[in-house]
Amino acid sequence: MPSLLAEQARGQKEFEVEAPTIGAALRALPLRDLLFDERDELRPLVNVYVDGEDARERGGLEAELRGGETVRVVAAIAGG
Amino acid sequence: MSLAILVGTRKGLFVLRGDDERREWKVEEPLLPGWDVFHAVTHDGVVYAAANNFVYGATVQRSADFGRTWERSEGLGLPEESGLTLEKAWHVEPGHDGTLWLGAAPGALFRSEDSGESWEPVQGILEHPTRDRWNPGAGGMCTHSIQIDPRDPQTMYVGISAAGVFRSEDGGESWTPANKGTAADFMPDNPFPEVGQCVHKLLVHPARPERLWQQNHCGVYRSDDRGENWERLEGNGLPSGFGFPIALHPRDPDVALVVPEEGAENRVTSDGRLGVYKTSDAGQSWRLSSKGLPEQAWAAVLRECMSFDDLDPFGVYLGTQSGSVFVSPNEGEGWNEAASQLPPILSVEVGEWA
Repeated sequence: MPSLLAEQARGQKEFEVEAPTIGAALRALPLRDLLFDERDELRPLVNVYVDGEDARERGGLEAELRGGETVRVVAAIAGG
Repeated sequence: MSLAILVGTRKGLFVLRGDDERREWKVEEPLLPGWDVFHAVTHDGVVYAAANNFVYGATVQRSADFGRTWERSEGLGLPEESGLTLEKAWHVEPGHDGTLWLGAAPGALFRSEDSGESWEPVQGILEHPTRDRWNPGAGGMCTHSIQIDPRDPQTMYVGISAAGVFRSEDGGESWTPANKGTAADFMPDNPFPEVGQCVHKLLVHPARPERLWQQNHCGVYRSDDRGENWERLEGNGLPSGFGFPIALHPRDPDVALVVPEEGAENRVTSDGRLGVYKTSDAGQSWRLSSKGLPEQAWAAVLRECMSFDDLDPFGVYLGTQSGSVFVSPNEGEGWNEAASQLPPILSVEVGEWA
């Protein structure tokens, strides 16, 4: 997790979760409201990588996880 | 507990601790780093901050230990049937009997009965029959002003840009437009519409709550009848009717202070100086009240960036987009710089800090 998100989870940067899909893994986190909007859509500037590969290349949030993958949340490069 | 200035910035919340004279101020390290703090306020020992992040969205952060630890409001959002999604959290206003109010964009008002843990959207605003005639201003369609009659908590006002002023007489259930006499010069075919005015800041006078003041996109206004009718207060010394914040005397309803800007197309302080203008006759005349403020400045003071305390003499506090905080401990008659080189300032509020 980026440090701003970790700060919102009492300093925790890494989480271990059991989940069938990438989306389910993210929704299991205590940061769900920051990653997803009230329509349960991933916020547009949140990027997700699975074992170093953009989640979009794997079929998006519905893509299945087999177990043991590392899911990484990265904020888009933007802002000021 | 001591007096503090809560300075919301584009890079977190700064707390300025003052001495009893309100002349010396110490900047404390920023809280909520990484968050745009649109407004922060203390109430009953809890700090509430309307906090936004360009990646992670809008929330209300609250701290019961003066910034050491924070909890955020999870699940803040607009219902699916509204067709709207939350854009920004703008302003937290403590109400009566523990109720908290949150103004948000797009044109939303929320209430909380559990000290800010959860928020319910106010349907009377969300489904207002005039909503299709509301439009966003440059800062989005923001509910920035929430005012509660101190003698009758059933009477409330909101200011939404650019929807106008609305009054409720049933504690926030239903809302009536209160814009008669306020201009929307940017709508040449109908410059005095029922709604659509671009109110920039709205205040109820604490000692005479039937008197309202507003700084609008199109002039400074006063109402003496709870917003039924508005009088435009221009000329008589004000270099411009355009500006954002307004501050009041906590006891004398005839005193107000504004910070005029050149105009909508050139949003810098008038006449190349940081000029505060003060009226002591209910807006009939205004005079420059800027002793100690920079005389060569093209500053901008946003709508949430001027505040006042209730001491005697009352203090006035303002923050600029260029990161300076100025304090007048004597009702605007003289000013001292309390901080400089902060990030762009989004809000200034006075509170008690432990």
